[in-house]
Amino acid sequence: MMLDTHHTGSAGAAHAEAPEAHGHPTNTGVDNRKFAMWTLIASECFLFATLIGNYLIHKNRGIDGPKPHEVYQIDITTLSTFDLLMSSVAMVLALYYCNARRLRLFQFWTAVVVVGGLIFLGFQYVEFSHFVLKEDLGLSRNIFASSFYLLTGCHGAHVTVGVIWMLAILTTSLIKGEKWFNSTMVEVAGLYWHFVDVVWIIIFTVVYLFVYV
Amino acid sequence: MSDERSSNRFREVNMRRKTGIAPSPLMSLLFMMRMWGIGAASWLASGAAWAQKSFDNMPYKLDGGFDNPMTTISGITELSRDINHLYLTTTIIVVGVFFAVAIPLIYTLYRFRAKEGDDTPPKQFHGNAILEFMWTVIPVILLIFIAIPTWKTIFKHDGLAARPDAIKVHVIGHQWWWEFQYPDYGIKTAFELHLPENTPVDLSITSADVSHAFWIPKFGGKTSAINGNINRLSWVTPLAKMPEVAGGDYYQGQCAELCGSSHALMRHVGVVHTKEGFERWVKAHNQAPKVETASQREGEQLFGRCIACHAIEGTPSAAIPGDKIGPNLSSFGSRSHLAAGIRKNNEENLAIWLRNPADLKPGALMPNLGLTEPEIKSLTSYLRQSTYKNY
Amino acid sequence: MLASTHSAGYSKTGIWSWITTVDHKRIGILYAVSALLFMVIAGIDALLMRTQLAMPNSDIISAETYNGLVTMHGTSMIFLFIMPLSAAFFNYFTPLLIGAADVAFPRLNALSFWIFLFGGLLLNSSYLVGQVPSVGWFAYANLTLKQYNPTHSVDFWVWGIQILGLASLISAINFFTTILNMRAPGMTLLKMPIFVWTTLVTQVLLILALPVITVACVMLSFDRAFGTGFFDPGAGGYVLMWEHLFWVFGHPEVYILILPAMGIVSEILATASRKPLFGYTVMVYSSCAIGFLGFAVWAHHMFTVGMGPWANALFSAATMLIAVPTGVKIFNWISTLWGGKIRFTTAALYAISFVAMFTFGGLSGIMHSSPPIDTQHHDSYFVVAHFHYVLYGGAVMALFGGIYYWFPKVTGRMMNEPLGKIQFWLYMIGFNVTFFPMHFLGVQGMPRRIYTYAPDQGWNLWNMVCTAGAYLTALGAFLFAINFFWSLWKGKIAGNDPWDGRTLEWSLPSPPLEHNFDVIPTVTHLDEWWHRKYSEDGKRKVMAPAPKFDPSTIHLPNPSFWPIVLAFGILMIGTGFFLPGFGNAIAIGTSVAGALIVLGSGFAWAYEKP
Repeated sequence: MMLDTHHTGSAGAAHAEAPEAHGHPTNTGVDNRKFAMWTLIASECFLFATLIGNYLIHKNRGIDGPKPHEVYQIDITTLSTFDLLMSSVAMVLALYYCNARRLRLFQFWTAVVVVGGLIFLGFQYVEFSHFVLKEDLGLSRNIFASSFYLLTGCHGAHVTVGVIWMLAILTTSLIKGEKWFNSTMVEVAGLYWHFVDVVWIIIFTVVYLFVYV
Repeated sequence: MSDERSSNRFREVNMRRKTGIAPSPLMSLLFMMRMWGIGAASWLASGAAWAQKSFDNMPYKLDGGFDNPMTTISGITELSRDINHLYLTTTIIVVGVFFAVAIPLIYTLYRFRAKEGDDTPPKQFHGNAILEFMWTVIPVILLIFIAIPTWKTIFKHDGLAARPDAIKVHVIGHQWWWEFQYPDYGIKTAFELHLPENTPVDLSITSADVSHAFWIPKFGGKTSAINGNINRLSWVTPLAKMPEVAGGDYYQGQCAELCGSSHALMRHVGVVHTKEGFERWVKAHNQAPKVETASQREGEQLFGRCIACHAIEGTPSAAIPGDKIGPNLSSFGSRSHLAAGIRKNNEENLAIWLRNPADLKPGALMPNLGLTEPEIKSLTSYLRQSTYKNY
Repeated sequence: MLASTHSAGYSKTGIWSWITTVDHKRIGILYAVSALLFMVIAGIDALLMRTQLAMPNSDIISAETYNGLVTMHGTSMIFLFIMPLSAAFFNYFTPLLIGAADVAFPRLNALSFWIFLFGGLLLNSSYLVGQVPSVGWFAYANLTLKQYNPTHSVDFWVWGIQILGLASLISAINFFTTILNMRAPGMTLLKMPIFVWTTLVTQVLLILALPVITVACVMLSFDRAFGTGFFDPGAGGYVLMWEHLFWVFGHPEVYILILPAMGIVSEILATASRKPLFGYTVMVYSSCAIGFLGFAVWAHHMFTVGMGPWANALFSAATMLIAVPTGVKIFNWISTLWGGKIRFTTAALYAISFVAMFTFGGLSGIMHSSPPIDTQHHDSYFVVAHFHYVLYGGAVMALFGGIYYWFPKVTGRMMNEPLGKIQFWLYMIGFNVTFFPMHFLGVQGMPRRIYTYAPDQGWNLWNMVCTAGAYLTALGAFLFAINFFWSLWKGKIAGNDPWDGRTLEWSLPSPPLEHNFDVIPTVTHLDEWWHRKYSEDGKRKVMAPAPKFDPSTIHLPNPSFWPIVLAFGILMIGTGFFLPGFGNAIAIGTSVAGALIVLGSGFAWAYEKP
């Protein structure tokens, strides 16, 4: 393990940090908050692995009621997937402009992330309502439905948390302006956002694209 | 050294330095513990109140009376013999390892205790690769001596269930009784699993409600009874010990998976007959009860109230299609115990059960039928006539 | 304790200072006190059970009550006693052992404690409303479904576990980050004290295993609340899914219970024999191997459910494999004592008893690892004997040893040694008298979780003996309480280093100041403190006087009110799921209010000055 450096902030990051950044020397060179987020991501991997596994086991075991291939609308879901992917791109840009201290661009791209997340949630809301109201696929309709909603609902909850977080970042920046470029916080939020996106890629593939497997 | 200290993470504060024990945090701690103590006392009080409800004298007792209790090391079937063999091997190895640990430990404690007045530290040694290697490898070798017979036994007994000459029995766990169905003989019964001696048996075990576990320790092979699954278990039954005077050898079993409030009151038996005895049981099991006295005739009439949940072969109740939720009562009178093996099957206990099933078994699904005493007497005499020993 | 002029008006004394504390040492004390109090409740559960079982056909406790006691005893002992007491030790000592001023996230640390406390209170409040979960500590489906358990008793269990799991997960992320990121300069991973290593592996197990039980509990609570059919075969679900998910968590859980205890034993034995831990590197690798393999053996709890011969055989092999690193540790501990100058303090007695008792319990575990033998042992008292030997004779003994060992550091006073030794022997004898005969009961076929038994099974004598042992153990616990309180008031003043210890916490005053180290040490050796005191040939070194220390350079985190508030919000969310009995509006309202509290306090937390 690396010896402590003590002389710089987070190793590897060329940018200086604002007073609120609270960076301090660490053995691994990774800021504590970033490290903690990676650890959380590891835990969440197991969470989603369990949920995805559960879905795969149960998706064809519904006694009656709609089956996966009868209800999925892959064209629409592709759009929402694209939207979430683009929001990840926006996230990268937001972090870049935060590091570059370009306030308006930072705020703009953060807002794009928020909007992208909200659009994704909107798509999910539309999809769920369609399933419940038009396809007779309520939460307890059959085991396929329960597993589907549990998995995608859990993911949607994670997206919601991410949207709230990004909104908080945006609001703080709007209020505090040039004084507040908390790169570490934005980077950590970005890690979370990218993780949620990657999980969605996996869910989209396994749930929607593998529908006949 | 002094410049390597934690940095700007914390706000700068002034502080005064104090050494020694500060009484006030301790007092706060004790105060907290006092509050906690009050909280704990109220918990205990309500817990006691909750347990108090059960302090009445309830007759939820278990009668004894099985010849062969639940010991696990009998070796009377091939399965239990194989298990015993494994168990013996493992025990010897395990006891050996225990002494290999205990003796050096005790010796070390004795030899290396600190002497009075000797304050110098001992020689500081850090490890020994050879020793580490030895006590990694030797346990592996010992474990192989357990693993190989284990694997052999697992695969040997897995294949036994498919014998063509095996008697097939469907075992179904219910809250809180065991049902046995013999599809080849058209027999449905409960509590007693009758089998001929020295014959392979193929059990298909499942549950109608929650998870139970079927276990007759002397035969070996506990198996879970799970709703939605069918688990197979097979034995070759032991030889019958004595002539059919007692109606077979009774080997006690008990449910071994927590299944609700009366889990402790859910027993079963394996009954091993001679081959002739088993034939007789099969032929006579489904015969209708012999109704001779007026009381029994009355009981027969009263049984009409039971046919929503129960059936007795040879009576109209058996003609109603569909599975019953209560145990089949054919040959009920010859069962050694009633209510899933918890009380001896005699007039007195049967009367208590009919009077109010919940008196013998908390949570029993059989309701109180509101029978009068004369009705109970008649029904009792009728049910005791439902016995294969009359034929 | 320190008074700081810029701590936003928060006092350092009084109950408010404990509620808002973010000091890892105070949080450790809070965990310890809570754990010991929950232990008393769980211990009373056990005494009631044993009293009922002392004689056949006893009617002191009814069947349903007994099932509730069994469930609460197991759940409380595991989640509300052993885990938090272990947490108390790694909370208090991890920063001290790695030379850090505090943990990575002090407020998150406080949050973990408050969430744990509220979860434990929620679970125990089931006694107050008379709806005690009675489904066993492992709550197998489908008994837990609404149709078989219509009251809220199972919900108390599910939500208790969920909330407790969240506390452990947050704590695990905190300590994982702390250990890997905040070690003193020069303390490479292989110079960390062994207790820190076992704590690290424990955190990894928590991080990876808790999500699985979280999913399982969500599925169960959905089945109960919304009628989904995850565990209902009639709806296409699987009953066994619960068992798999539970034990994928449950098996790493038992290593979570034992690893900190093993770390404590290592520290105590090295100090008691005044020699380094024998084979430190091997011990580290063994701990990691145990953690890793712990994820590969879960189905050995399920040998009788019909998984098929290949699954049984492979899990059996993996289980036997995991015995190897465990056995290596046993021999390493004996070798630590060998060649030493052993001082038989109470702490040392506990640590030594761990070695013997845990070995014994592990060996009966080897017996269970063979599926054919296990078909006789599973769900019998043989298993009860096994796990009490490893958990009680193992983990609990080690944790009590830890209390005797570290009490001087935490309070500045020594515990009473003669009383401690009497108390130790009461525990040791009582424990063996209680649990050794259970092996016989298991061989004689006594199943688990039965509230009574017939008089002619041959179980009468041993059950009576077990009950006598239980009361003896209770006497030991009572004596411990006396020793504990007496020592707080009247114990001999300890000084910094009463045991001539090897690790950095003994370089600090007893109790340590709030900021821990005046000067963060630079570490050059394993057992750094020992190497500062003694040269390689055992001679005492003259230590340089402590350098001039400027107090104004210390920065301490401010206490915070938001952790307890946020924890309370989480409690409200969970409670909302219970309340449909009182009307859906109240239930949903409670959960929503809880969520708003969580959100609000989260924001307040994020924006307050740390």
